[in-house]
Amino acid sequence: MNNRVARVSMFVTPTNPRFIDKAWTRGGDVYILDIEDSIAPAEKERCRTLIRESIQKANKGGASIYVRINKPFVDADLPYAVWPGVDRIMLPKTESADDLRHAHDIISRLEKERGIPVGSIELYPMIESTLGAVNIHDLLTAVPRKLSSMGGAGGYDMAMNLGIEMFASFDQYAWPVAYVALAAMALDIEATGGVFVPNTSGRVDQGDQAATQAAALHAAGVHHSGALHPNFIQPLVQGLSATTDEISWANKVIAEFDRLTDAGESIGMLDGKVVDKYEYDRALRTLEWAAACAAKDAYKARAMHRAKQEQPA
Amino acid sequence: MQHDAEKPLFVGEKPMPKYIRRSVLALSIDDAQLGEKAYASWADAIILDCPKQAGRDWQADLKARMPAAIHAAAKGGAEVFVRIHRDCAAAELDATVFAGIVGVVLTGVTAADDISAVAKGLDALEISRGIASGALEIDVEVDTAGAVWHALAIARASERFGAFYVNEAALCRNLGMQSAPRLAFDPLEYIKSQLITVATAVGGQAMGMSYPLGLTQGNADEANVKKAVRLARDTGFKGAMCPHAAWINICNEGFRPTAEEAAYYVKVIEVFAEGIKRGMASVPIDGKMIDVPVDLRAKLYLKWANRAQARDDAKARAHERQGN
Repeated sequence: MNNRVARVSMFVTPTNPRFIDKAWTRGGDVYILDIEDSIAPAEKERCRTLIRESIQKANKGGASIYVRINKPFVDADLPYAVWPGVDRIMLPKTESADDLRHAHDIISRLEKERGIPVGSIELYPMIESTLGAVNIHDLLTAVPRKLSSMGGAGGYDMAMNLGIEMFASFDQYAWPVAYVALAAMALDIEATGGVFVPNTSGRVDQGDQAATQAAALHAAGVHHSGALHPNFIQPLVQGLSATTDEISWANKVIAEFDRLTDAGESIGMLDGKVVDKYEYDRALRTLEWAAACAAKDAYKARAMHRAKQEQPA
Repeated sequence: MQHDAEKPLFVGEKPMPKYIRRSVLALSIDDAQLGEKAYASWADAIILDCPKQAGRDWQADLKARMPAAIHAAAKGGAEVFVRIHRDCAAAELDATVFAGIVGVVLTGVTAADDISAVAKGLDALEISRGIASGALEIDVEVDTAGAVWHALAIARASERFGAFYVNEAALCRNLGMQSAPRLAFDPLEYIKSQLITVATAVGGQAMGMSYPLGLTQGNADEANVKKAVRLARDTGFKGAMCPHAAWINICNEGFRPTAEEAAYYVKVIEVFAEGIKRGMASVPIDGKMIDVPVDLRAKLYLKWANRAQARDDAKARAHERQGN
């Protein structure tokens, strides 16, 4: 299991001081510095030059930093995106292994030039078209670099490709979502998102929608989600963390399975539920995730405290 | 690897859908009223079924009748296809492929080789029958598990591939599933989504109807057919086979952006353009975020609406010509 804690990854526009300067106060696990769709074409050049200083601004509260670049401008964007402090490069609209190889080669060169351990920055192919979805296995095996994957292929661009109106009350991406998520799982690659939650209003700023989304993801064992509005951050951070009830139950299961093992047994019952090796392993994963979340929250709290102290009076 | 401004950024920006083929009607060439039915239907496409006459040289029989049947089917401005089966594809192609058809609809497909074989047959027939090389399309009626399993290889087997048609009843029979619509959910949801995704990925499209009408092919009332068409469109289908004439107009209206949607796209484009002028790349409309992909989608969908209107105009002109 991957215990990196990225319960919520929030998009931020480096060109807007109102957003980038306050981002660290919002409590996100990850901030995505965007050079792509939230940046107007005329602003892209200026945006690139702001990435390096934006890293320092956005990670003051202990968040990790990703950068989303533009598919048509990979060569132009990457020299402004690959810096120490960047954990991941997000490559939108990825459709072929060549897309990934090209980005990988440039990132490797820049890592070497800038004293960053080569291969340490992750690549995240964003699957936003049907072609990307059907090619997913080729994409995820294309380069010798750590990859993360979308847990499913959907969103605005996929809707456009499929010619569908978004925000229906049913899952419009049943196959591409499942297929992409399955490919990632088969290759033991960490995947984000991937559970359908109806949002017929299409709004991206409602906290209750975030809580519903978090509950659905949590139930499916998914630990990561994206956000376009700060109102999504806290519901996702809370909703994707292990609950006290889950931690308590996991401890009970582990204790019961240890007792069974000592007695030479492999299956028992606890409060009417089966306890076996599978449940034992699941309980261990719950505790690992809870510990990782607690460590991340403590790290963020310390960073936040430092940053507040350093704020000019 | 810098972007060529003349090329689409990715597959999602190609014209969509590939074909304006919202309603498809199957007619037998044995139908004495073939021409009248085709003309009166206003279907975007007609698929001709060509029964083999027992006790006769069916190939010679079909060859003699096909040109007139194709002409009759095209009376109302519909695109004309012939439906053939994999098992006797070569002989059926020879008997049915004549100038005037747009392509063939192949049934019983289980592997990509089936498409390659038909493509090869069409290569030769196009030359011998004065049809532009590479002009004829191959569509696949999905009625076997093999066609689903090999969907991507099938769609990639030939440049001629145009569309998947989901034959739900036949597929259920092949899969050993009950075909009575007793379930609260669509048992073929995942398969339909797969076929839509794969067809779109290769630049084609998928044709089908939502559950349960896609399975029952029942003659539901207008409101229910409208609802089913809307659901099918929201799933990604671009048109449907119409077992009843009453479905055709509903499909023609339903498998395209509505007037309200077109008006909204215009608003999106205007508001976004204003935002860009002010240096913003993301502007809200009623709480919804409007940014580059949303703007691009609005432009594509407006083109789709205009193409659908152009298709209706072309059919109207065909009717006028016939009327004169």
